[in-house]
Amino acid sequence: MLDQVRQFIDQHIELTNEDFQTLASKLQPVRFDKKTKVVDIGEVATTIYFVLTGISRRYFYRGKQEVITHLVKEGGIMGSVISFLTGQPSRYILETIEPVTALAISKNDLEALFESDKKWEKFGRRIITSFFLQIEYHNLDNIKYSTRERFVNFMKQNPDLVLRVPQKYLASYLEIQPETFSRLKHLMVKEK
Amino acid sequence: MNKVFADIDPIYFDYAQKYLGRFMPITREELFDLLQYCEIRRFDKRKILVNVGEVDNYLNLVVKGLVRKYLPVKKSEVILQLATEGHVVQSEISFLTKAPSMVVLETLEPTIMVSLTYDKMEEALDKFPKGERLGRMILTGMFIKKDENRYNRLLKTTRQRFFDYIEHHPHMLQRVPQKYLASYLQIKPETFSRLKALLAKRKN
Repeated sequence: MLDQVRQFIDQHIELTNEDFQTLASKLQPVRFDKKTKVVDIGEVATTIYFVLTGISRRYFYRGKQEVITHLVKEGGIMGSVISFLTGQPSRYILETIEPVTALAISKNDLEALFESDKKWEKFGRRIITSFFLQIEYHNLDNIKYSTRERFVNFMKQNPDLVLRVPQKYLASYLEIQPETFSRLKHLMVKEK
Repeated sequence: MNKVFADIDPIYFDYAQKYLGRFMPITREELFDLLQYCEIRRFDKRKILVNVGEVDNYLNLVVKGLVRKYLPVKKSEVILQLATEGHVVQSEISFLTKAPSMVVLETLEPTIMVSLTYDKMEEALDKFPKGERLGRMILTGMFIKKDENRYNRLLKTTRQRFFDYIEHHPHMLQRVPQKYLASYLQIKPETFSRLKALLAKRKN
């Protein structure tokens, strides 16, 4: 399971085996059942997770409506990341969709790692950069592409999520009305 | 002080120190050490700094003037940012990944910026004591801001977005054409006019 972590890290920065062992020694295996609230609104997140298997969503409420801003599957990092970084109460709920196995790291351990050497600061910066880019791509795509284009692009890029994630969650994540989402899905099946 | 910066209004350094001070305490001496890696860039108004398809090699802190960032969409455009004194502006994805820019940066007023190239940034972060920490904190700050903007866009109604923006940026109504503000807030121009009339009524 550490191979998966190593692969993820190699995308961001070069680490020696020794450095990797230092990081690996801080990781705690954890498991959550499906539909578990890992972080609730108002809680301060002190842990983030590297997902090994399963899938989770992050959302907040607009009135009574859930608004999903993130879907994270194996190979990604899940957490109420802003709360984790700022120490402020979470505005989001982090909840599993499928059962999730993950490796957890605490804020204290991560901060200690950053303090110990500037290469870890750089590592931190690279990971944050990837989070930043993810939001910015999502923002620009939302403005640039029509509902239909967003739907088609997402389906092409994430055929697995279409099978694993309830349709209403996908619609919310893509900022598409559920009825429109259904219509587009029917249309796509027909075209095939 | 480096002679390159000798003719610069000290208030510009205040902006830079204030900006960096949000991430970690920084002395005037440390600021000038960091400024050795930077350039001062001056532009007339209505000058395109980065166009679609170009790679943006700069991280810019606006110290005077106004820069708009927009995304061309079909035959129209959507304004993503209106950066004034003390704001950082760049084509972020292009700068961070070296990919061709999807967005355009254009000055709306004569503008002065403190600018840092990607390579100089990496060099400064490597050489400056606690530079890597500063780099991580800046990126973290940018990320938090981005997340907050998205949260607010999804949470708030058109009317809330309008009133929040005007409350926090009262001078912008004078500085920027109304259609740009409407585009930035993703409000239809007619709705923007209506809300502005409402605002005037409220004040009376």
